[in-house]
Amino acid sequence: MSQPLLQSAKCEISLTVNGKLETLHVYPMERLLDVLRHDLGLTGTKEGCGEGECGSCSVLIDGMLVNSCLIPALQVNAATIVTIEGLATDGRLQLLQQSFLDCGGAQCGICTPGMILASFHLLKKKPQPTLEEIREGLSGNLCRCTGYMQIFEAVEQAARRGAST
Amino acid sequence: MRAHPAEFELLAPPTLPAVLSLLAHEPGEWLPIAGGTDVMVQYSAGKLAARKLVSIWNLPELRRIEISEDEIRIGAGCTYTDLREHELINREFSLLSTSASWTGGIANQNRGTIGGNIVNASPAADSLPALMLYDTDLLLASARGERRLPYANFHTNYRKTQLAADELIRAICLKRQFSGYYSHARKVGARNAQAIAKVCLAGLGRLASGVIDDLRLAVGSVAPIPMRLTETERIVKGNRIDPHLIQLAKTAAAAEVRPIDDIRSTSRYRAAVVGNLVAEFLEQLSARNAQSERISQVLARWNALQPDKAAEEILPCCGSKAWAIGMAARRPLLDESALVAACDEVWKGLTESDWLEAFRSHPRIGDSHSPAAAQPQSAAWSGEEQRKVGSAGEDIKLALAEGNRAYEQKFNRIFIVCATGKSAPQILEILRRRLQNDEKTELREAAEQQRQIAHLRLRKWLSS
Repeated sequence: MSQPLLQSAKCEISLTVNGKLETLHVYPMERLLDVLRHDLGLTGTKEGCGEGECGSCSVLIDGMLVNSCLIPALQVNAATIVTIEGLATDGRLQLLQQSFLDCGGAQCGICTPGMILASFHLLKKKPQPTLEEIREGLSGNLCRCTGYMQIFEAVEQAARRGAST
Repeated sequence: MRAHPAEFELLAPPTLPAVLSLLAHEPGEWLPIAGGTDVMVQYSAGKLAARKLVSIWNLPELRRIEISEDEIRIGAGCTYTDLREHELINREFSLLSTSASWTGGIANQNRGTIGGNIVNASPAADSLPALMLYDTDLLLASARGERRLPYANFHTNYRKTQLAADELIRAICLKRQFSGYYSHARKVGARNAQAIAKVCLAGLGRLASGVIDDLRLAVGSVAPIPMRLTETERIVKGNRIDPHLIQLAKTAAAAEVRPIDDIRSTSRYRAAVVGNLVAEFLEQLSARNAQSERISQVLARWNALQPDKAAEEILPCCGSKAWAIGMAARRPLLDESALVAACDEVWKGLTESDWLEAFRSHPRIGDSHSPAAAQPQSAAWSGEEQRKVGSAGEDIKLALAEGNRAYEQKFNRIFIVCATGKSAPQILEILRRRLQNDEKTELREAAEQQRQIAHLRLRKWLSS
């Protein structure tokens, strides 16, 4: 390689993950996905494609759904992150998670955390989504097992049960 | 080979001047990164040439949308979600919000920025054809100052632009002069979300007395840069839309583009699709013109009626006499959007007893008779709205009747829901949920449902 390799320094970032304040030393260009899985041991967030196409690594940053594989660590300094591990409270599943179980909305499980966070984000914005809105809300999350129908049913059921409240 | 984060530097200056001074200090050395939806993909694949990056994500100077009388200025750091959720952009620049809606999926729309899309300069970018049509200017900023240039000439060649090494796009400026235009956007790809277009088209058209007095067409994915179809526009302008003109436009458009064969499609297919999309746009423009003429006729007749007659005619759309009188008083209403806006204003200003009167004009869900004697038109519309309930199983119908009784006992009025498109089990779930509401919350929810019913009925009335 003609260009000499740059050796960057680690930086300190503080962020709130699932309600807990964390201070970490990371390379600024480390992907949030890797910070969550390796530095914090939160392996519920999955890596699928690693290029923002499949939605498996979806998390919420300050309430916004994002692909964590496309976020450099420095950009989440001072942010509030929710991962799939942050939804259940006191060992009890969220209504939305329960609906995925009840409707058979999960099979191999790789897409499931992302699907649930994308659904969670959708129901916060649209508590009673139409089927078209559900399809759009989940269009960035790919599932190769279920054929999607049970997933859409799970979100419809969760909405009817008032999951957004 | 995957990139190693230790080999990359990333800084996040807190202000735009700080970013610009970094760019001025070492022009071309620093790659700006906003939401990362393009840069991080290259980075992860080990294909990013730059080693030094500067974050411009969420810089307040780049995230504003400023509106003046004749222009809207969109900060380059606004995301697709920002565009989709902006009321004025939806109303006046719908090509932009529509193309934003099929860029990536929701997660990428929350991060991808309009400025990033422009400088990334992909020939397949979804929002660029839309920007080509709105007489767009770009505001570029550097430590040397600001300059403004027309977007039409910004892309010079494949992934080449007029942006200097020390410059950033600060804002995208759109002229507010397209309210009378019909807009049309189409993307042809493997699927809508998360797929790069084989062809995308944006069109703006305006007719005056049946003649096309302005037509603008831009396409993506069919040339090294997004392009206007100037030759096709020239052929079409000043003419009436008929099958002959559509055929001419289709042939001209297919001949005007310079597509290539690649992994997503072939040159021949792309050229043919461009022709078809142009034809489709012209057909819709013509149909839209005919429809708006019909709507104008309905409204012109209604606008000329005596107030009591006008109120009487529109009453079945809502059921509240005060609403109908309020609507008649707001005439003349000249188009569908003015009518719907008036509906919302009048409805919000009514008293609780007016709302209750509107609720009483509907039959119970599952019944065919309303508590108050409904007008025949209202009863006919109720039948259409509740069609799916009529064909439900006996057990669901029984459960609905039970739910209705419980609801009426608790709230002392019938249960109102905008039933159009909803199945009986869906309505039952909604009924059960709303039974848990307190009186105040429930009144608001019922009023919102009634507002939605009125919108649907107004549209049916306009096309009657």
